[in-house]
Amino acid sequence: MPLTRYFDLTGKKALVIGADNPAGGAIARAYAEAGADVALCALTPDEAVMRARAVRRDIEAMGHRAPEYIMDVTLGKNVQVTTRQIVKDLGGLDMVAVAPDVFLAKPIESTTDTDLARTMQTNFNPHFFAVRTAAQEFRRQQKPGRIVLVTSVLGQRGVPNTTAYAAAHGAVHNLVRAAAEELAGDQIMVNGIALGWMDWMDDRLDPADPEAQRAGRFMAMKRRGQPEEVGPLAVYLSSEVATGYVTGQIFPVDGGLLLHL
Amino acid sequence: MIERFDLDGKAIVVTGGGRGLGRGMAMALAEAGAQVLIASRTEEQLAGVTEEIRAAGGKADYFVFDATKSADVDALVQDCVLRYGQIDVMFANAGGGQGPDLEFWEFPDDGFQATMEQNLHSVFYAARAASAQMMKQGTPGVVVPTASGSALRGRLPFAYPTAKGGVLSLTRSMAMTLAAHNIRVNTIVPGYVSQRPPKDAQEQAVREQRGSFVPVKRLGEWWELGPLAIFLASEASSYITGAQFIIDGGGLAAGLGPVGFRPRHEV
Repeated sequence: MPLTRYFDLTGKKALVIGADNPAGGAIARAYAEAGADVALCALTPDEAVMRARAVRRDIEAMGHRAPEYIMDVTLGKNVQVTTRQIVKDLGGLDMVAVAPDVFLAKPIESTTDTDLARTMQTNFNPHFFAVRTAAQEFRRQQKPGRIVLVTSVLGQRGVPNTTAYAAAHGAVHNLVRAAAEELAGDQIMVNGIALGWMDWMDDRLDPADPEAQRAGRFMAMKRRGQPEEVGPLAVYLSSEVATGYVTGQIFPVDGGLLLHL
Repeated sequence: MIERFDLDGKAIVVTGGGRGLGRGMAMALAEAGAQVLIASRTEEQLAGVTEEIRAAGGKADYFVFDATKSADVDALVQDCVLRYGQIDVMFANAGGGQGPDLEFWEFPDDGFQATMEQNLHSVFYAARAASAQMMKQGTPGVVVPTASGSALRGRLPFAYPTAKGGVLSLTRSMAMTLAAHNIRVNTIVPGYVSQRPPKDAQEQAVREQRGSFVPVKRLGEWWELGPLAIFLASEASSYITGAQFIIDGGGLAAGLGPVGFRPRHEV
């Protein structure tokens, strides 16, 4: 198939932070399918490692390297040091996808200081640390780079019980814009993928709540998105040939959810 | 995953395909395996692009039409069906024209009307004809209008951005309406993109100067719309509808100061 010119990542080195969640795993698989070696970062040394290992097996079956790491994304220093190691192990770095996502649903009055700190620490800080570190690595190599931040449509709309989570993702949205402007001169592109209601997010809805069932019908496409529908956009946004003129944008993968009034 | 980008055998219409961004998109779509029917007013340009695509091993045909005449647009879609058996994707890309170079308070009715017809009516006609046919076929489809970054900011002359703003709004409503029929609608929103290679060194110098105002320090090139066109036309974007795909070198994410402006940082 003559697509390789635009979407071929053969020989490229990718880092996926949060490869243990469905979006990160799908992006890692898609990168590998397009030809890249992919370093997989699980966020915690528990069953997350097993989930990343499943991704590793798939990628190795495609004939690519997929070393696993544990990265504590709440600590900027850990993101930096682990990334440094990964760049050495892979022999370079061309793209970084950042997918940590820890949901919190709580009314604002019961959202504690700790809830807020933790929500920012797990939904926004990792993205910031990853961009800071990736920029450093790309500039060190003096090569173009691609950064893809996975975020949520809640970063641009409000829904009750999501004040902390939506604010954290709003911060990611504007991180995309500000970082894109700061790094554009070095051909480092920063873009976002805003997820709508995906098929792995059912635990965010209360099965006893009739409004939650109606929420599914708010999407123009009337169905939840699947992990495989996230990967191709990440490949597009990470291809040096395809996106030399695309930066600072957040693209929804939401089945038309944002169209609703 | 990668097969999601495949357009093998898809029947795709690109209006305004004789030059510029439309030509760039048509060439990439053909490269990805589509049968491409390009359409515009200028037969000479269409014949040239068709020849170029065929010479590269792609499948292309052309149709001469006026994008502002709905009967012409209907005939275009029927021509696509006659040639390829159906229509899968419509790139409603034809547009252009700013109206006369006059102050806002002097701007004439006919100048405003013509700009709307070229840039907004043309998209409505193309999307309507294509979606009606897709529904008749009972097959999934894709409609991709071309808008403009100018629609998202204030700019003079005003008529063109106004019409393109209409395209963005039309896209959202169409996406909402057509989703139930498995037709996705997404807009391509180009910023400053060169329509063709520079003619001479002087033109190149002008482009470089203009490019210095774009965050990535250059203008986009016509062919850079190609990969985006493939992404939006294909299953690679299967869960995306009603969205704006901005391709502008970072211009629209910025704009609060000249490129190179940075608030003073502490040493």
